[in-house]
Amino acid sequence: MYRRKQGPGGWIATILLTLYCLIAVVLIGNMIVSSFKTKQDLLFNTFGLPTKITFENYRQVLVEDSLYRNFLNSIILTMCSILSLVFVSSMTAYGLARYRFKGRNALELYFLLGLMFPIQIAILPLFVIMRTLSLTNTFLGMIILYTANMSFSLFIFNQFFKELPGALHESAIIDGAGEFAIYWRIMMPISKPVLFTVMTVSFVQIWNDFYLPLVFLAKRSLHTLTLAIYQYLANFLAYWNFVFAAATLALIPVIIVFLVFSDQIISGLAAGSIKE
Amino acid sequence: MTKSKAYIGFITPGFILYSLFMIVPLGFAIYYSFFNWSGMGAMDFIGLDNFRRIFFDERMGGIFRNALGNNFRYMAVAVFIFIPIQIAMAYLIHLKIRGHNLFRLMIFLPYVISPSIIGFFALLVFDPNIGMLNTLLLSLGLQDMVSAWFGNPDIAFSLLVGVIGWNGIGVGMVIILANMKNIPDDVVEASIIDGASVWQRFWHIELPFLKPSIVNVVVLSSIFALTQFDIPFIVGGLNGGIDGKLDFLNLMFFRYTFGDAYFGETALGFGAAISVVSFSIILCISLLQKLVFNRLFNR
Repeated sequence: MYRRKQGPGGWIATILLTLYCLIAVVLIGNMIVSSFKTKQDLLFNTFGLPTKITFENYRQVLVEDSLYRNFLNSIILTMCSILSLVFVSSMTAYGLARYRFKGRNALELYFLLGLMFPIQIAILPLFVIMRTLSLTNTFLGMIILYTANMSFSLFIFNQFFKELPGALHESAIIDGAGEFAIYWRIMMPISKPVLFTVMTVSFVQIWNDFYLPLVFLAKRSLHTLTLAIYQYLANFLAYWNFVFAAATLALIPVIIVFLVFSDQIISGLAAGSIKE
Repeated sequence: MTKSKAYIGFITPGFILYSLFMIVPLGFAIYYSFFNWSGMGAMDFIGLDNFRRIFFDERMGGIFRNALGNNFRYMAVAVFIFIPIQIAMAYLIHLKIRGHNLFRLMIFLPYVISPSIIGFFALLVFDPNIGMLNTLLLSLGLQDMVSAWFGNPDIAFSLLVGVIGWNGIGVGMVIILANMKNIPDDVVEASIIDGASVWQRFWHIELPFLKPSIVNVVVLSSIFALTQFDIPFIVGGLNGGIDGKLDFLNLMFFRYTFGDAYFGETALGFGAAISVVSFSIILCISLLQKLVFNRLFNR
């Protein structure tokens, strides 16, 4: 590589980027620190360290405001949706990538249309369909929607399956494996890296999704964390000590997933959008 | 690849779900847009009247043009300001400046923060009374620079664009960065031996290799710009902020489709017409961009 000693320009760039990155550090750090402050402390010592560490905010939001419920909702909804999405989209991608049939290319293009038109565009008829099927205000309905919104993961799986050698499939047939067994016992295990990529990227997107829960989960007991925090913001000034705790609870899981799997998430998002 | 009918079994479940919940709704949006319908009861066929209202009705047309204008303004910022920044950030990381791995991580980090928390951060920083920014300015003795921020119609839009940009800038950056790995080392080394300056090397040798990713980021950012909703809704509210400065097409759509509790004028047919218009605009912009890029790159 052509790495050279860093000149003055490089140092200026380093300083500028450091300042930029500090925005995130300050905002997230302040949020976490403030979540342990009393309301009095927040008011008179807004941006300093807490004079007395309290867990009252967490007790209040988790127990009194039943945020634990929203937390569980988010976990259940995200997990079920990811599993369903990965299963259906990998199967579809497998059918598209590994079999030769008439109209395959057109079908592939059809499945990628979703990359161009976000689900928001058709939300209104979707709402009517969901209402007709009694799927509004149900997790099942949300899981179906997150699964149907499969263009991105299908694209990633499709690229991976296409590059696998054909011999793999033929030898399995000779061994007498059925078509589904080949997909499930041979193809899925070797696609672990992409599987991981799709799961982590989907985790971030579904966990943080705001629009679909806003439209389809009006019932309070079904609200996800993202919606619950939005509700808090309406009374931001009255309860901001609680918002810090609630936001910290919502952000921690996704930050942990991001820090552990950042390479998968970053490479996955990049791979999902470079098309020749 | 195999010739077997088994593909039908693999594709059918996905095909049904995807068609029923992604593609069919698009078609239905077009159908609904010709009706006057509150969502319940009878549908009243009114032809193109919904579209006439969007484009030519005095009040509605004004709201529509303002919202669409904001979408386009955001798109212009994304393409002409954010993308050069994304390229610059990616290039610095590609050159492995000190701390490059940490920078990549930290620039991308805001992307994983949910929109409600981004909205919360925006409130914390820009709230006129207790916000960090005004507190900081006061403590530095800069009373003149204290502002209402999102309450000031002159700067509200720019602030919002900044917040959205901060949230999502990492995505485009990593797409371009991944593309930079495809630049062949020997070409770059040859240019260094030939005595090309850093700037010449970037502009003439490396940038041309980045066309595929830049084209993609332009297209993705444009679609994103034309479908803005989450952060404007959380920060500016359903009405689109002061004087509609933070209004976007999708917000307008949401108001007239689901906003009966707030406005008392629910109109699903009219809402459908708005989404058909934004759908058509996305289609036109994408095709136009494709045409322009083909012209530019395949001479």
